[in-house]
Amino acid sequence: MSLNLEQFLPHARPWVEGLANSFPGSFIKPQFAWWEVAHVLSLITLGGTTILMNLRLIGVGLTQEPPSELYRSLRFWQNLGVIGIVVTGILIGSANAERLYDSAAFIVKMLALIAGIILTYGVSRPVARGDGAVGLAEKIWLILGAAVFLLGLWVFATSELINPGVFHIITAAGFIVLFAVKGRARWTYLGVLIPLIVVQFVWTHIIVKADDYAHLTPVNKTFAAIFTAWIVGVGLVQLFRAGRGEAGGPLTRIIGYVTILVWVMGAAAGRWIAFA
Amino acid sequence: MIRAFLVWLQTALGKGAGDTAQSWSEALLGSLNFWGLLEGSHLIGLMLFAGTILIVDLRLLGVTFRRTPVSVVSDTILPLTIFGFIFVVITGMGLFFAKPLFYYHNIWFRVKMIMLAIALINILVFHSRIQRTQGSWDSDALPPAGARTAAALSLSAWLVVITFGRLIAYDWFECGKPQPAFINWAEECKVSEKGAVALSGAHP
Repeated sequence: MSLNLEQFLPHARPWVEGLANSFPGSFIKPQFAWWEVAHVLSLITLGGTTILMNLRLIGVGLTQEPPSELYRSLRFWQNLGVIGIVVTGILIGSANAERLYDSAAFIVKMLALIAGIILTYGVSRPVARGDGAVGLAEKIWLILGAAVFLLGLWVFATSELINPGVFHIITAAGFIVLFAVKGRARWTYLGVLIPLIVVQFVWTHIIVKADDYAHLTPVNKTFAAIFTAWIVGVGLVQLFRAGRGEAGGPLTRIIGYVTILVWVMGAAAGRWIAFA
Repeated sequence: MIRAFLVWLQTALGKGAGDTAQSWSEALLGSLNFWGLLEGSHLIGLMLFAGTILIVDLRLLGVTFRRTPVSVVSDTILPLTIFGFIFVVITGMGLFFAKPLFYYHNIWFRVKMIMLAIALINILVFHSRIQRTQGSWDSDALPPAGARTAAALSLSAWLVVITFGRLIAYDWFECGKPQPAFINWAEECKVSEKGAVALSGAHP
């Protein structure tokens, strides 16, 4: 399967084709590279602020300060990051519209953007502002944001050529769990994860030849499922074993995980627009 | 000597027998997904590395976390920054390994490496000199001028590193194309496969 905008809006092609030659696309094109740089810098600003604020909700990072202090200190920079990626993204997109129109990765990126904005402004920030308390409004936004995130993840995982990009989200989840679990649990976690990575490498480079895609694809998909099961499993144990901390319970930590991962999905999908 | 090593790295290392055999570098570049995964991972690693260093530098500039001691911000955030840096360096080395000669003759890459060295020297200077007196200004909302200068230099250096890293993808200055003598010199085009072509079209 491979979704793209053309399947939903087939009559829009002439308009899409003309975008690059009309304002703002025509204005952006000569400085396209610099707008791309601004897009990456915005993404980094958004990434840093989101990672720190949401790791705090998980119970990692700047734990000496309450989540409300992180919210207060980071909100301006996070706003700057979000506004930056949206503005530069629209400008870049208008100069490169044809490629995006045919791209499944662009669908994933847009779903990640929608879910990211819902989860950041409707859930993560209000929860951080309230020092981990999750009210009814945040729960409703969480259900909506998580549904859009899962839809994006499903499109990412089922679209041909771009589905290897799901490994970015699995890797990011793996790192967050690594930061979140402590003591012996961390060593157990790594003790399974590292051999799994070695086995996957041997299987996909030595047992199966690197260009034998017919056999590689099912092997990689199986490993993606095994990695996900292990990372999510350990993550869930950490979520519930840690109980109710001073900055919220398991639901607060789930919000932290999902909000980081949704922006990782957006960044990953954005990169895979260039590859497929 | 460096170029000869990179030629070996790109064309000979790991190459088996037979006409169609590829070196490891060529196999990595030609891989359907691995190169894409490396590039994507490099970007996502940057979100962690540069995103967290931004916050530490902003604290040193007295712009954010003004009520939190500098030591609290740096001691808790810098381990994440270092983790991100290691991840970015590993994925960056993978990307370099796929096209070492391309990067070697690329002016953006060369300036990026110089700025990377400046940023790392700045970190060393900060830790060896400025941080020595941190006890006296740790809780100040606005750290002293030395700390703020180091933070401003750090932010500027990483900004250039990231900007030039992105510009590597653009072929504005490429050996073999007519370009100013300075660029041909800076990219060592004369010894590259495509050679150096002056703006007039003649080989200098």
